Amino acid sequence: MQILRKTNLKALEKAKKLGAKKVIDILKKKNLTGRGGAAFPTGKKWEFTLNAKSDTKYVICNANEGEPGTFKDRFIIKNNPETLIEGILIAAYVIKAKQAFIYLRGEYDNLRNLLQKTINKVVKKSGVDIKIISGAGAYVCGEETAIIQSIEGQRGHPQYKPPYPAVDGLFGKPTIINNIETLTNVPQAILFNDWDPNLRLMSLSGNIANPGIYELPVGYKLTDLIKKAKPKNKVKAIYFGCFGGCMPYSKIELTPDSICGKNCIIGSYTIIVVDEKQSILDTALSIAHFYCHESCGKCTPCREGTIRVCHLLEKIKSGKATKQDLEILEDLAMNIHETSLCGLGQTSTNHLLTALEFFRKEFEEKLR
Amino acid sequence: MKIILNGKNIKCKEGKTILDICKEHNIKIPTLCFIEGLKPEARCRLCLVELDNKLVTSCSTYPYEGCKIITDSKRIRKARSINAELLMAGHVKTLSVDEMENDLYKVIRDLGMTRIRFEPIIKYKQDLSESIIRDDNKCINCGKCIRVCGEIMGVHAISFQGRGHYEHVSPYNNHPLNNVACIKCGQCIAACPVGAIYEREHLFEVIQALKNKKKHVVVQTAPSVRVALGEEFGMPPGSLVTGKMVAALRKIGFDRIFDTDLGADMTIMEEASEFVKRLKKNGPFPMITTCCPAWIKFMEHFYHNLFPNMSSCKSPHEMLGILTKTYYAKKFGIKKKDIVVVSVMPCTAKKFESTRPEIDSDVDYVLTTRELSKLIRYSKVDFKKLKDEEFDNPLGISTGAGLMFGATGGVMEAALRTTYEFATGKTLKKVEFNEIRGIEGVKKGTIKIKGKTIRFAAVHGGSNIRKLLKEKDKYHFIEIMACPGGCIGGGGQPWPTTKEVIKKRMEAIYKADRNLPLRKSHENPAVKQIYAEFLGKPLSKKAKKILHTHFVKRSEF
Repeated sequence: MQILRKTNLKALEKAKKLGAKKVIDILKKKNLTGRGGAAFPTGKKWEFTLNAKSDTKYVICNANEGEPGTFKDRFIIKNNPETLIEGILIAAYVIKAKQAFIYLRGEYDNLRNLLQKTINKVVKKSGVDIKIISGAGAYVCGEETAIIQSIEGQRGHPQYKPPYPAVDGLFGKPTIINNIETLTNVPQAILFNDWDPNLRLMSLSGNIANPGIYELPVGYKLTDLIKKAKPKNKVKAIYFGCFGGCMPYSKIELTPDSICGKNCIIGSYTIIVVDEKQSILDTALSIAHFYCHESCGKCTPCREGTIRVCHLLEKIKSGKATKQDLEILEDLAMNIHETSLCGLGQTSTNHLLTALEFFRKEFEEKLR
Repeated sequence: MKIILNGKNIKCKEGKTILDICKEHNIKIPTLCFIEGLKPEARCRLCLVELDNKLVTSCSTYPYEGCKIITDSKRIRKARSINAELLMAGHVKTLSVDEMENDLYKVIRDLGMTRIRFEPIIKYKQDLSESIIRDDNKCINCGKCIRVCGEIMGVHAISFQGRGHYEHVSPYNNHPLNNVACIKCGQCIAACPVGAIYEREHLFEVIQALKNKKKHVVVQTAPSVRVALGEEFGMPPGSLVTGKMVAALRKIGFDRIFDTDLGADMTIMEEASEFVKRLKKNGPFPMITTCCPAWIKFMEHFYHNLFPNMSSCKSPHEMLGILTKTYYAKKFGIKKKDIVVVSVMPCTAKKFESTRPEIDSDVDYVLTTRELSKLIRYSKVDFKKLKDEEFDNPLGISTGAGLMFGATGGVMEAALRTTYEFATGKTLKKVEFNEIRGIEGVKKGTIKIKGKTIRFAAVHGGSNIRKLLKEKDKYHFIEIMACPGGCIGGGGQPWPTTKEVIKKRMEAIYKADRNLPLRKSHENPAVKQIYAEFLGKPLSKKAKKILHTHFVKRSEF
């Protein structure tokens, strides 16, 4: 697997020889994009922070992997932590940061020792201090502004953008925030000429015989992937994580453009397989409970709306709901999607909007 | 920068949010969590507008060159309505607040909404303290109270607890307000758009006392009540309604109506004498005023090193309370236990003050300005049509100095007028100290007394207090008021108390001071009489016993 290739600090050496601007040029040329889900070009992100004027700058590594069905970051930390730390060091070198943070998901506490050992081994005399900060189990703290709040010691509430963290981030200073997969790709992209920007880590789960991490190129055929996964029953739908929404199983290629229904996003290539024996309504209810639990409580639609979505879905499931309830549910889901403050709120009803688009029958047959 | 606002080409300056621009063009946009002067948080999601076909919150979004902004459309109305509906469903109706004062009701009325499709959920207990009651079932989590408490008052008594739907406002670890470092200033009450925080009302007890024929019910009104009460009855801010207020109180059935301004004059007599004494003994400086009970509690929680600096005077209404029960009772042959003293104050901390064991308060009940307006309505008095009446003797004569206690800087100005004459024996010709008037957070000035330069300062608003106390050793005399604007911006005043309203109330106070014949506390004939007949002279043994107090240390948390 490409992601497991070790660079043994040679990429850092090369980066120091090239200088900050050339490193950014390489990242841009090689077309490295963010692997957290938003796919923002990494070189551009770093350039903003490099150009921001400030004597102190920070690097944050986002290891708060909380998306249900996603476990690629854990895979990287377990199997290639040296390259990840090297990626952080390169980022720190490029923007001249003295302090970097790894915001580690609370549930990944068992990886903390391994990370700390690797830091002790790799960092040594580089002049950069890398601190591991443990999250407390909040999904929303994977949102970049919420991470900043959390590291500052505040409640993990997302903030509106602009200002973007690249200019006004941690403690008001310019800050680079990147996902683990992105930062691990950085040294590899700098060092290896045969580095392929199209390879992605895909997390497969659901009622299948072969769940796990697969490294496959963008544009890979979904049918081939499902063949590898060996589903136990006939596949009905595919969920792209909780926030990505769902789509009926069909012959498509896995690219951001081809799967984009109205509210379906491929994000971080998380694929949850739902087969014919499972009910979409149950899945929707369980995801709605997840978002209701994980909402930070800051903005109205997400705080008050997510619990109402749960209530309405429960009502539909119990068979007491009317057609009007379904209308309210749809209005509400659209409103949460359109008017929430952060990514969590905006995507929290994608699963419902897409389910209502493709599997409306399953909801309607439960109505009174 | 050129933008298109509702189809019109408009030029605007950079660095302004869409909300600011809409305000300039008289376009009304509903907001619930926005506080003038603080960074917007964009929590309530009601100020939505369309920016190039995307729904954005206008309070936190800056327009860009050539952008198209629409402030009213079907889509916007629908989004606003659903958010308002969600808030309204979480806001459980109870009877403690007027519907007219509820900003959420106004938003719903303006949106033309007719139904709430979600059921209310009741999940919290009320948090009861001596002066402030919080009801989380009414709370819509706009966060205004938290920001006012932390960023303006510098107290940080409350914050958000819990997550998601269970997020609620509370002191840390869900302690009740009584157990934490809350100064009871009531600014959270003034900030709350839905009345989820309100004062503990003494209205019922007062009505009971009024009905009891055996009781002699005495009422006193604070200086800042008379410039704000009119607003409750539809008069413009800054209307001086002293005469009408007295007439209304008499109609309601109070036996005597006294003026807290006299208590303020007494405070000045004691405080000025104390300052003159400190001048002779050369310290300890700075001397700090103690009229504001919220500030006293602030000091007791956070500034234990200031105990020697504090003046030992009671607050004006406590002084007048004890004078009513001693001097007045003796003079008119009324038994002390039959007298009920009611104070009408702009303040919720005074409710707490009247329960302090150190003071052993002689004030039985404290009403806020808002409660007084409720009492007037309850008694079916047509306030606007009342003819002016005068306060009762002997505790109803006051001066401009006493009246100025209502505004920030007023105590200092009144104290200086008297201190100067006490210390030098000469008449002060220029009685107005413009340097400590106005709405700035920290105001400073100097005066020469017997060749010595006395540096004085007046400060209001908790975070300003923290700033000033860092350099306190520069000053000899400091006046501190906890609420922004002083008592005229107090937590018990009519809603809304904005900066403009505070300015108008302040102007009214200074105007009234200019028009009064007596402008120095020691020239008040009633004060002279009380000292001659009862107390002897300022700081005499008797005066020290009944007009002074001490403070206690409280935890910082």
